[in-house]
Amino acid sequence: MTSTRPLAAVERALAVLRVGADATLAGRAVLLGRGVFYLLVIALLATFWDLVAAERLPGTLSSLLPAGGLAVYVGVTEWITLSVPAIHLRLEDDIRSGAIEAHLLRPASYPVLRISESCGGLLVRQGMLGAIGVVALLLSGHAVPSAAMWICLVVLGVLGGFVGILLFALVGMSAFWLRRTIPIYLCVQKMSFLLGGLFAPLTLYPVWLRGISEASPFAAQLYWPAVIVVSPGAATVLRAFTYEVLWIAILSTLLAMIWRVGLQRMLRQGI
Amino acid sequence: MGALALYLRQVGAAIRVSFADRANFWLQLGGMTVNNGFVLLLWFMFFAGFRSVGGWRLADVALMIGILALSVGLAGVFAGGYRDMAAVILRDDVDALLTQPRAILPRLLARESIASAWGDVIVGAILLARFAALRWSDLPVLLFVLCGSLTVFLATGVLFASLAFWVRGARSFARDVVDFVILLSSYPGSIYSGAMKVVVYTFVPAGFVVLVPVAVLREHGLPGLLTMAGAAVGYAALAGTVFMAGLRRYRG
Repeated sequence: MTSTRPLAAVERALAVLRVGADATLAGRAVLLGRGVFYLLVIALLATFWDLVAAERLPGTLSSLLPAGGLAVYVGVTEWITLSVPAIHLRLEDDIRSGAIEAHLLRPASYPVLRISESCGGLLVRQGMLGAIGVVALLLSGHAVPSAAMWICLVVLGVLGGFVGILLFALVGMSAFWLRRTIPIYLCVQKMSFLLGGLFAPLTLYPVWLRGISEASPFAAQLYWPAVIVVSPGAATVLRAFTYEVLWIAILSTLLAMIWRVGLQRMLRQGI
Repeated sequence: MGALALYLRQVGAAIRVSFADRANFWLQLGGMTVNNGFVLLLWFMFFAGFRSVGGWRLADVALMIGILALSVGLAGVFAGGYRDMAAVILRDDVDALLTQPRAILPRLLARESIASAWGDVIVGAILLARFAALRWSDLPVLLFVLCGSLTVFLATGVLFASLAFWVRGARSFARDVVDFVILLSSYPGSIYSGAMKVVVYTFVPAGFVVLVPVAVLREHGLPGLLTMAGAAVGYAALAGTVFMAGLRRYRG
């Protein structure tokens, strides 16, 4: 049974979002560890790209690298990647253990509650990792983006993180059919690294792959929010925003459909 | 029955258990292979565009990732218990082993075989055979450094999992450190300098898991071989000592 009052549904979702945020904040040690990991990864990748840029081998793509390096770009893509909570594990646990049955009795949509909870975690992680990233950027001596750029980055970064949550929620839903979601998770994660441009902007990719990647949900998660730091401009921001909203709509619809089919299967034949 | 025979029997049983659910086994193996395929595609694309990074070329990175994949894969297949050893300690599952007359550490390592690790083994073997520019004459040295790399990797896993005897939050920390080792072992050695170089040769020993083995295979020097052997013995001894100290505390 699900409540039909839209406002009540929004209030419930916001309450669960706060619970997710509080739970993430409570795990201070884990949050700190993630911060250290983030610093390590961006230091590693920034050094890597600085080394590539320094070589400037003739006849290579070095000339296409931005003058300021790719430190800020990889800082943004990693910021989003490391902020997305492992919602697929939550869904897998609930579905495999049968704990999901208790949720079905409640007057609220189970996927909406889990996604809201993950959004709470996402916002806390993005706040913390974002602060670490900004401090690291200021200390590193790299060029700092303008104030307008920061606002765009925050909006597009949060939307990108939400695309990530929806993608991994879809992975979690595969538990209705598979015992373990880890193989699907690993494939989606690596597709996100490759097609999302985690390590390098899609502009460095071969033309055939660039087109496919740009239109993928993985680019909406990582590339489009981050590319505004290497190709700034209103048109890029607008394009990024459009892709993100489009993919949020598509993935939400897909998630609702898969949830319905999976639930019917589970109620009919169990897990 | 000797300790080695017991270990082999227990690993054999763990591998048969991992095979038992055929669909799940193939799915995990396939998933890991595809996962590794995406990583390799990224590197192939990178070297197609840039040719070199700090003197490292595609064959060097293929050698590095091949060694890493084989070490992580073999550890997962034949000593998969390392992955969640901290959780086993924290759940007090060690109690049941304490009543038995055999060494505890090998039994903890052999209690699980990770199905997806076969994917790493396959990809690692293909990379070394096909893309790493190795010759048949390199085989003895390759086997030697693989043993060293596997020992250092497993010892690191055991060392940090053993912290669970003292610290309750050691489970995620131990897994994070192992993930750090894998992450730092996935990039060419030329990018490490200063403090990072110290980290990769001490606390998170990616240097001994892949960088020294790559250097030994490319340069064939005796100092490299001795360094590898010394690191393997040193890390194994450290992990064994810390584990035994933790076990004594647990018993007490």
